Amino acid sequence: MNNKFDALKDDDSGDHDQDQSSPKNCEKEKNEDEDKEPNTAKKKMVVPGVGEHPLQYNYTFWYSRRTPGRPASTHSYEQNIKQIGSFASVEQFWRFYSHMVRPGDLTGHSDFHLFKEGIKPMWEDDANKMGGKWIIRLRKGLVSRCWENLILAMLGEQFMVGEEICGAVVSVRFQEDIVSIWNKTASDQATTARVRDTLRRVLNLPPNTIMEYKTHTDSIKAWVDFHGLVTASGGR
Amino acid sequence: MSESNHKTSAKSIPTRRVVINSVDLMPHDYCSTPGGTLFSTTPGGTRIIYDRKFLLECRSSPVAKTPPRGLPDIPGVTSPPTKDAIKDKAHNGEALNNNVIKTPDSKAAGDEAQFEMDI
Repeated sequence: MNNKFDALKDDDSGDHDQDQSSPKNCEKEKNEDEDKEPNTAKKKMVVPGVGEHPLQYNYTFWYSRRTPGRPASTHSYEQNIKQIGSFASVEQFWRFYSHMVRPGDLTGHSDFHLFKEGIKPMWEDDANKMGGKWIIRLRKGLVSRCWENLILAMLGEQFMVGEEICGAVVSVRFQEDIVSIWNKTASDQATTARVRDTLRRVLNLPPNTIMEYKTHTDSIKAWVDFHGLVTASGGR
Repeated sequence: MSESNHKTSAKSIPTRRVVINSVDLMPHDYCSTPGGTLFSTTPGGTRIIYDRKFLLECRSSPVAKTPPRGLPDIPGVTSPPTKDAIKDKAHNGEALNNNVIKTPDSKAAGDEAQFEMDI
């Protein structure tokens, strides 16, 4: 049980440092579905409180941060991803959101993930493995507002693509920030087009904003290729 | 006779606000709704839909301000209201400041508050 979330780490940052742990970790994924995370073990389904506004789905906030250097794998797993908590209503969402820093104030190489409860923010999850994501790169200074608009649209079911949405990610990087939204079926063009159009609308993006759709299989391939290369050349 | 039929209560028709900032956001044909939704053809059937303005209004309700149960303490990321947070001022002061809840004043809370992005 180590590093199951390693595959998250580099993703689209575009600033691949070479201090990753070894690529073989991502292949261990399959047998390790039942993890021993304390958060998962004691998990009970959250429900909306009395008088609160229920959401269509329950969601879970996650946080991950890449640790500098080349840490031992178990250690690195522990540090790379943490569940912050799950919620079932609008009010419960705000409780978490108001006690978390805004992404623009995060330091270092950090990500927030907001996924439907039960879907892990990783490519290999059953809900994600046939999926992909829309990626929007933002210049510095825009990310907090953009992330808020994105997740409010997701929680409020503005995307109108049935069960297709899996979650959203914000990645804080050195030169730029990235927001993305993940859906289940990368090959479903009607869905991906609708997600794109909704993104344009809710994020108030100018028409010339470049939006990139990337399938998770491509992401995995790129990750493996890149890290294979690093290993072959002896790393840094 | 017929007035003995059971009454149906009146309900408002659910609506969704869609803000159009530019002509590019308009649908391509007249049978589409801006934003892409026809309620009669919502995929997956009835769904719980909230617009941004409504969600932001919920933020100011007292119940939305109480800290969540079991919030993990991740320095620089979460700010659970612990004694440590007060004690360790140098470290947490900043994080707490980031979380000052700005109650959206009701007018600006809507879509006017959107910013122009130029990327």
